[in-house]
Amino acid sequence: MERVSYAEAQALRDEQLAGLPPLRIVLLANIVVNPLVAFLRHAAYRLGFRGECRIGQYDNVLQTALGSEPGLLGPETDVVLVFLKLETLSWPLARALPGLTPAQLHAEQDRVKAYVGDVLAGIRRQTPATILWYGFEQPLYPALGIADAQRADGQLHTIDTLNAAVRTLLQAHAGAYWIDADTCLGRIGEKAYYDLRYWHLGKAPYSLAAVREIADEIFKYVRALKGRNKKVLVLDCDNVLWGGTIGEDGLEGIRLGQTHPGSGYREFQQEVLNLHSRGVVLALCSKNNEADVWEVFDRHPDMLLGRRHFATAQINWDDKATNLRRIASGLNLGLDSVVFIDDSEFEANLIRQLLPEVEVLRVPSDTGVEHRTLLASCGWFDTLTLSAEDRERGAAYQAEAERQRLRVASDDLETYYRSLEMVPEIRLADPLTIPRIAQLTQKTNQFNLTTRRYSDEEISRLAASDSADVIWLRLRDRFGDAGIVGVCILRYEDRRAIFDTLLLSCRVLGRGVEDAFVAYCLRRATSRGCELAVGEYRPTQKNGQVSDFYPRRGFAPLPGDGDGKRFSIELPANLEAPGFFARIESELVP
Amino acid sequence: MSLRDRVVRVTSQVLNLPAEVITEESSPRTVEGWDSLGHMNLMLALEEEFGVQFSDERIMQLLSVGAIVQALHELTGAGTGDA
Repeated sequence: MERVSYAEAQALRDEQLAGLPPLRIVLLANIVVNPLVAFLRHAAYRLGFRGECRIGQYDNVLQTALGSEPGLLGPETDVVLVFLKLETLSWPLARALPGLTPAQLHAEQDRVKAYVGDVLAGIRRQTPATILWYGFEQPLYPALGIADAQRADGQLHTIDTLNAAVRTLLQAHAGAYWIDADTCLGRIGEKAYYDLRYWHLGKAPYSLAAVREIADEIFKYVRALKGRNKKVLVLDCDNVLWGGTIGEDGLEGIRLGQTHPGSGYREFQQEVLNLHSRGVVLALCSKNNEADVWEVFDRHPDMLLGRRHFATAQINWDDKATNLRRIASGLNLGLDSVVFIDDSEFEANLIRQLLPEVEVLRVPSDTGVEHRTLLASCGWFDTLTLSAEDRERGAAYQAEAERQRLRVASDDLETYYRSLEMVPEIRLADPLTIPRIAQLTQKTNQFNLTTRRYSDEEISRLAASDSADVIWLRLRDRFGDAGIVGVCILRYEDRRAIFDTLLLSCRVLGRGVEDAFVAYCLRRATSRGCELAVGEYRPTQKNGQVSDFYPRRGFAPLPGDGDGKRFSIELPANLEAPGFFARIESELVP
Repeated sequence: MSLRDRVVRVTSQVLNLPAEVITEESSPRTVEGWDSLGHMNLMLALEEEFGVQFSDERIMQLLSVGAIVQALHELTGAGTGDA
């Protein structure tokens, strides 16, 4: 990724950020973390946000969490970053452990755990924001020397225990996540991570390299939270999946195997396969004769990737920008969901120029040894949680391909829908479904009427509220279970039901389920005593396909609505679910 | 760009003031925002720009643009009249 200098990052002025949506970040720390702010603002800018960073009073983390700085944390806050360095929080555990008695050691650990718990609960009382907690670093030279690692009262074990306790506390709160400090440290090394001069001069322990790494790590979470993470990995073949050119070197000549020089490509394929297992959709885009490429997939003994892992492929001699557009539209996904990997400087530059919304990762042409690390380090596909739907997405896309074949065979749409034997399930959110619901609000872009992003915590609050309903839609058919693919949030105000959120995953578009979903949500609103339902369309760059969603279902423009984006329908509404479903499972209405 | 011009550019970016008003005499006393945090940010940005590291003692002494330019001349081995 491109590196911005510290001076340039600080030179980013407010005028350049005008018009961007805000990303409100609050930093609570017992060390000086100000250098982080410039990189956070710059990363936010690159993601299309106006980063507004505010820093709580130095070394007042508990006081701030308990409310000593009114207005710092609130309902508008997006992210709270917590940096508690052990050196400041507990000098005895960080630097003076050998002098502690067993009783003192335990008492100090208990004090730290209680402090962390109080901070976390205090932050949560003030804001539903996502909490990102930077863990304690392990000492590089443990307090008891080489004996330390052998002992339960050693510093390594003590800090492990503290970190485990923090993680347990975080897991008990929705929307609170752990950032592993030792992972950040390990990536750049101790000498590069700490800057002891500024630690002593100004209680700022981290070097610019460390601050960059930490900001990058934080923005993996922010990208996921804001639905800006990627969903499709498009791969070139020659010198990416294997070394050499299949058209010239032939099946025996390409480099792929357990030993050098083929082992780098094999490790890379395993990493790609791992992303597939995490729900990333795979596609091929290669300038080759199609039969040559499939011969490698079918006959090479060291191929870890198989045809079945790819949702689609464009193997031809057309330009790659055209092929990437075909791939994205065939998958019903935007080009900004795509990461493209190629070894060719020409192809990489072509895509950067013609399709700037695609992230391009260029790998070396002459060696595969770096391929795996380049892919693993990017974090573009990272998600905050891994739902069952993520893990089964690969199978879901294969099922979609079968549906498409069936569609060609059926004469009319209605017959096709009936042949799918679809069973929508429409129910209210519960603790089991809340993470998936939040995830859908975070990542759904196209069929999303309002594109409001919610954290787990916010969905929990809405689901528990008397004046709102959080409703989900699941879809099964004869080819499989798509899982939870739709969300509707209704807010109730004065006998009106307001569609705060209505979204559908792109995996189930074009099957009429949205009509069943809306019909049932309207029935729910009627049963809650509402006389009017209000739908809203908030345009984004990607949700143009639903701009006329409400008018097409009999909603009329809301009288007195200035910008013409709000529509209403009287309840009970004359809107029925289509008749082509095998059945509809729901207990929304008594 | 001369060493002095690069120092002025970085100082201007970090302390958010126009390059034209920066002189050899610019210092924490004359520049709003050149407080202890501003000083740390300036030192970190300059170290990155020139690929050098000031010692902790030196950091405490580099309290004017003139002193910074001179120290960087010494550290980078450039003469005072470089282009």
